[in-house]
Amino acid sequence: MAFLSQNALFCALRIVGLASAVLALVFVINNFLIFGVDAPGVINILRLGDIFGVDSPRQGYNISQILLGIVQTVVVAAGVTYAVWRGLKSGNLRIDANWMDEMSAYIVRLSFWAVLLVGIADAALSFLRVEGFHTVLFGAAGGAAIALPSERGLFVHIPLIIISGIIALRDKSVSLVWLTLLVVVAEFMIVVARFIYGYEQTFMGDLVRFWYAALFLFASAYTLKEDAHVRVDVFYASFKRRTRSILNVMGTVFFGIPLCWLILMRGLWGKSSLINSPMMNFETSMSGFGMYVKYLMAAFLIVFALSMLFQFTAYLFNSLADIEENVADDDAAEEVVA
Amino acid sequence: MELFFLAVLFVLMIYALGSGYPVAFALPGSAIVTILLAGFFGLVIEGDSGAYFIQDGPVEWLTAGVTNFRGIYWEVERDTLIAIPLFIFMGIMLQRSKIAEDLLVTMAQLFGPIPGGLGISVVFVGGLLAATTGIVGATVVAMGLISLPAMLRNNYSKPLATGAICASGTLGQIIPPSIVLIILADQLASAADQAATMRKDFYKQATGQFSMPSEFNIISTSAGDMFLGAFLPGIVLVGLYMVYILIAALIRPKMAPAVPYEGKLLEKTFMRKVALALFPPLLLIFLVLGSIIAGIATVNQAGAIGAIGAMVMAGYKMREDSKSAFYPAILTIASLFLIWIISSNFNLNIKTITESSDWVGLAIATVGVFGLLVGIAWSGWRAYTTENTLTEVMRETAKTTSLVFIILLGAAMLTSAFRGFGGEEVVKHFLSSLPGGFWAQFIVVMLVIFLLGFFLDFIEIAVVVVPIVAPILLADPSANITAVWLGVMIGLNIQTSFLTPPFGFALFYLRGVATKAVKTLDMYKGVVPFIALQILGLGIVGFNPSLVNYLPTKTFLSSETAPPPKNPRLQLCLEDYLFDFYDNNKPEYLASLKPLRSSDISMLPKLKQETLANSIKNAGMIFAMVDNIKNAKSAMDEASVAYAPIHTEVRAIERVIARDEKEIKQLQRDLRNETRVSKRSKMQSQIAELQDEIALSRKAIPADWQNINREFKKLTAELNASRAKFRRQSDQSYSDIRLIASSIDSEPKLVAISDMLRRIKASSNTSSNDLLDEIKAAYDKLSRIPGSEAAAKSLSDAKRAIDGASPDLTKAIKQIDISLVKIDDEIVWRRAAKTGFYAELADFETYARSNLGLREQRRLTSEQVDFVTPCLAQHRNLTLQF
Repeated sequence: MAFLSQNALFCALRIVGLASAVLALVFVINNFLIFGVDAPGVINILRLGDIFGVDSPRQGYNISQILLGIVQTVVVAAGVTYAVWRGLKSGNLRIDANWMDEMSAYIVRLSFWAVLLVGIADAALSFLRVEGFHTVLFGAAGGAAIALPSERGLFVHIPLIIISGIIALRDKSVSLVWLTLLVVVAEFMIVVARFIYGYEQTFMGDLVRFWYAALFLFASAYTLKEDAHVRVDVFYASFKRRTRSILNVMGTVFFGIPLCWLILMRGLWGKSSLINSPMMNFETSMSGFGMYVKYLMAAFLIVFALSMLFQFTAYLFNSLADIEENVADDDAAEEVVA
Repeated sequence: MELFFLAVLFVLMIYALGSGYPVAFALPGSAIVTILLAGFFGLVIEGDSGAYFIQDGPVEWLTAGVTNFRGIYWEVERDTLIAIPLFIFMGIMLQRSKIAEDLLVTMAQLFGPIPGGLGISVVFVGGLLAATTGIVGATVVAMGLISLPAMLRNNYSKPLATGAICASGTLGQIIPPSIVLIILADQLASAADQAATMRKDFYKQATGQFSMPSEFNIISTSAGDMFLGAFLPGIVLVGLYMVYILIAALIRPKMAPAVPYEGKLLEKTFMRKVALALFPPLLLIFLVLGSIIAGIATVNQAGAIGAIGAMVMAGYKMREDSKSAFYPAILTIASLFLIWIISSNFNLNIKTITESSDWVGLAIATVGVFGLLVGIAWSGWRAYTTENTLTEVMRETAKTTSLVFIILLGAAMLTSAFRGFGGEEVVKHFLSSLPGGFWAQFIVVMLVIFLLGFFLDFIEIAVVVVPIVAPILLADPSANITAVWLGVMIGLNIQTSFLTPPFGFALFYLRGVATKAVKTLDMYKGVVPFIALQILGLGIVGFNPSLVNYLPTKTFLSSETAPPPKNPRLQLCLEDYLFDFYDNNKPEYLASLKPLRSSDISMLPKLKQETLANSIKNAGMIFAMVDNIKNAKSAMDEASVAYAPIHTEVRAIERVIARDEKEIKQLQRDLRNETRVSKRSKMQSQIAELQDEIALSRKAIPADWQNINREFKKLTAELNASRAKFRRQSDQSYSDIRLIASSIDSEPKLVAISDMLRRIKASSNTSSNDLLDEIKAAYDKLSRIPGSEAAAKSLSDAKRAIDGASPDLTKAIKQIDISLVKIDDEIVWRRAAKTGFYAELADFETYARSNLGLREQRRLTSEQVDFVTPCLAQHRNLTLQF
C-alpha cells in the first residue's frame, strides 16, 4: 500500500471513529432533550424534513425551545468539526485512544453507581410499599407518590443518577466488577429470606435481575479492553501481529461500530422506539409490587451501546497505532483466550 | 434471491469468525451488514427494500434483532440465566483460592497407591470442579498446569496422561452445575415452545381436529431439569473413564504406575489434610446439586448457595497456617446449625406467625442469621484482603459472564437475520427431505454439530445451532424425544468434538500449556480411546433415554409442586400402574368391596341411596372396563402392523404436498406484486410445475388409503372411548363414595352449627348488624359441609333478608327455622349411617385410594411415583396418532 493512501485511509478512519463516538453521545443527549423536554432537535431546526420531503417539521415551538434546538444543532456541528479537525491534525493516536477509553470507563462507572444506588433505594421503597409501611413512614401523599412509577423515577431515580455522575467523576477506585458480588449477595438474601423466614417477594427477584443485566452489559467494554471476548483462534493464533491488527480494524469498523449504532438508532430514534417507549412511560413490570426499574433496564442498552462505541473506537485507534508503529510480534500475543 | 443473501450471510459469518474477531461481535456484525446489503440492493434493483426478505423489510428484522437483545434479561421467564454468573463466581472462587488444586493434589495422594490412581483422580476432580467455568479452554489449561507435570513426573505414559486431562477437562461441560447446560436449557425451552406449535399444526393437518390432546405435548426443559438429566450420563462417563484407566493400568502397569505416598498413609496429619481438602468441596457440590435434585431450591438459589459457600471456604483457605483460620467458617456453620434447630422446632414463617413462643424462636433465629452473615462477611473480607483474591475473582467473573452473555446477544441478531432470509425454511426443507425419518435427521444434525465443534465453542453452538434445528427435531411425533434428552445428546456430542484431532479445542489448549517433551502425536494417540469411550457413552445414552429422563421426571412427580394424578401427561403410565394392580389383586379388591356391597344403605335419603348403589355397582364392574381397554388396544396393535407403513408413506407424501402448496401460495402472492412480463411468465410456469407435482403426489397415495385410515381411526376412537369410560366411571364411583363418607364424618359439625343457629335465634333482639355477622359465620361453616346445600340455601336467604337497607327480621328467623329443619334431617340420616354401614364404606374408601380413586387423589405416593417414573421416562412413539 502506498504511503500516501495509507495515510489518507488512516485519516478517514480516525475522523469516522471520532465523529461516530462524539455524535453518538450527542445523539443520546439530544434524544432525551427531544422526547423529555420537547426540544425541536436538529432535524426540525434545519428543516431537513422539507429538504428531503419526508415530513414537514413540527411547528409551534416557543422561543426557548427554538434556542435549545439551535444549541443542539450547534453542538452536533461542533462535534463533527472537532472530529474532522482532530483527525486531520496528525497527532498521537494513542492519546485519542486513551481519551476514548476514559470516556467509556466513565460511562460505565456512572452507570455502576447508578444501578447500585437506585437498586438499593428502589428495593427499599418496594419493600416498604409491599408491606404497607410506606404510608406510615411518608404519610398518605408521600406513600401515594411512592406507589407511582413516574414520581419514583423523577424524584428518586433521577437525583440518584445525577449523584452517581458526580461520584463517578471523583472516585475511580470502585468499579463495576462489584456487581458480581452484589448479584451473589442479592440472590443469597432471597435464599435466607425464603428458607428461614418463608418470605418471598417480587422485588427481591427484580433486584437480582436488575443487577445481573447491568453486570453483563456494562462489563462488556471492560472485557473488550482486556481482550477477553472469545475469538475463534484457529487461524488468528498463527497470524502476525500486523495481520491481526488489520483484521481487528476491519472487524471494528464493519461489525462492532455498526452494532452499537444499530442499537442506538432502533432504540432511540422515535417516540415509540424500543428504548424510548419504555423510558418515557416509566414502564414497570406486570407484577404490581415489584421494583419500578424496568424502564432503566431498557436504558442499559444505551449504556452498553455508548460504552462499547467508545471502547471500540479506542480499540480501533490502538490497532491503527499498532500498524503505524509496526509493533513486532511479542509474547503478549500468545495469550490464550481463557 | 433470499437464498443468495442467506449465502452472503453465511460467507460473511465464516469470514468474520475466521478472521478471529470476537465472536460476540462477528455474529451480529455480519448479520447487520448482510441485512443492510439486502435492503440496499432491494431498493436499488427492485425499488423495494424488503424485496429480498422472506417477509417484511430490513428495518423490521433489525428491530427484531434489537428486541431480542432486550429479551435476554427483560422478562422473568429467562431468569434461569441469572445462575450463570453465580456458578462462574463459585467456580472461579474455588480455583483462585486453590481449593480445586488442593482437592486434586490430595486426591492424587490418596488414590496414588492404586494402579492408575493418579489418572483416576484427575478424571474425578475434572468432572467435579471443571464444571463451573463453562469455557473448555480455562478448564483444560488449569488441569494441564496442575496435573500434567505430576503425572509425567510419576512416569505416566504421555498419551494416557494427556488423554485423561483433555477428556476430563471437557467432561466438566456436561456435568452439573455447568453453565453450558443452563444455556442449552434456555435455548431448548424456547425451541420446545416453537416445536409445540409445529406439532399442533401436524395434528391439525393429520386429523382435522383443532385441539391436540395435551398428552401429546412436547416435554420442555428448565435449567434444573437439564442438571438432573445430565447427572446420570455424566456419572456413566466418569465411570467409563475411570474403568478404562484402571484396566489400562492393570494390563500395562508401565502406562499408569501406582504412586506410593511417601510417609504413612494413616498418619494423623495426612488424614486431617485429606479430610480438609476433600470434605468441604464435596459437601458444597452435594449441597448445591442436592438442593436442586430434591426440588428444594431453584437453580439460581443453589447457585447463590454455591457462591457463598465457596467464599466461606476461601475464607479459611486464605489463612491456612494461622490459628484463627477456621473461626469464620465455624461461626457460619454454628449459626446454620442454630437456625436449623430453631426452624425445626418453631414456626418461623413471618407471614403466618401468631404464637408468642414462635416470636421468641424468630428472635433466636435472627441471631443465627446475624452470625451467619458475620461469618460470611468475615470470610469475604479475608478473601478481599489476602492477595486481592476477591477482586480477582470478581474481575474474572465479570469478564466471563460478559463474554458469555454478549455472545448470546450477538446470536440473537444472527437468528433474526437467518429468519429474515428464510434460513429456517431451508433447513426444515433439507431435513424433512432426508430419507429415513427422524433418526436420519438426528444423525445429520449431530454430525453438523460435531463438525462445528471444531471451530466454535460450546456456547456459540448452543445459541446459533440449537434454535434452528431443535424445534424440528422436537416436533417430530415419531421419536417424541424430550428436550432434556436432546440437550444432553448435543452436550455429549460437542464434548466429543472438542476431543477429536486435529481440530479439537481441548487439544489446542493443552498443547499451549504442555511441555515440549509431550509430542502432539502423543496427545492425538492419547485421546483416541477416550473418543471411543465418548461414542460408547453417546450410544448408551442414545439407546436408553430413561438414563436422562429418569431424574427430571422423578423430581417433577415428587416435588412440592407435583402434578395431581389427573395430569394428562401421566395418564398412560398411570393406566399401566392400575392395570398391573387390577390384574394381580382382583380377589383382594373384590373382597374389600364385598362388605360394602352387602351392607344396608336404606337409611340414606333416596337420591343418595341411588348414587351410592350405582357407585358400588360400578366399582365392581371395573374389571370389565379394564378388559375393554385391553381388547381395544390389542385390536389396534394388530391393525397397526399393516397400517403403520402405509401411514408413514402417506404422511410423507402429504408433507411434500403441503410444502408445494405453501410455495404456490408464496408465488401467487409475489405474482400479484410483479409487473415485469418475463418474471410473471416464469412464476406462472413455476406454479404450473408445482401443481403438476402435487397432482402426481396425490396419485402416489394408495387408493385404499381413505378406507384403511377410516378403519384405523375407528379403532383409535374405540380405544379412546373405552379409556374415557374407564376413567370417568372410576372417578365417579370413588368420589361419590368419598363424598358420602365425608358427609357422615361431618355430623358433629352439623350438630354444632344447629346449636349455633338456635343460639342466634334466641338472641335475635340484638342489632341486625351483629346478627348478620353471626349468620354469615354460620353460613360459612355450613357451606363447607358436604351434602348440606339445601340447608345452606335457606340460611343464605336468611342472610339476604337482613342484609341491606331494610332488614326483615321475621323473614330471617323463618328462614333460619327452615334451615334448622333441614339440618336436623341431615343429622338424622348421618347418625343412622354412622352406626350402620359407615365402617365398611370408610374401609373401602381408604382401600380404593390407590386404585379406583387414584386419579382423585391430590398427589401420587412415593411408591406410585417409583412405578410411574420409568414408564414416563421412555420416549413414546406417537406416529400413528398424527
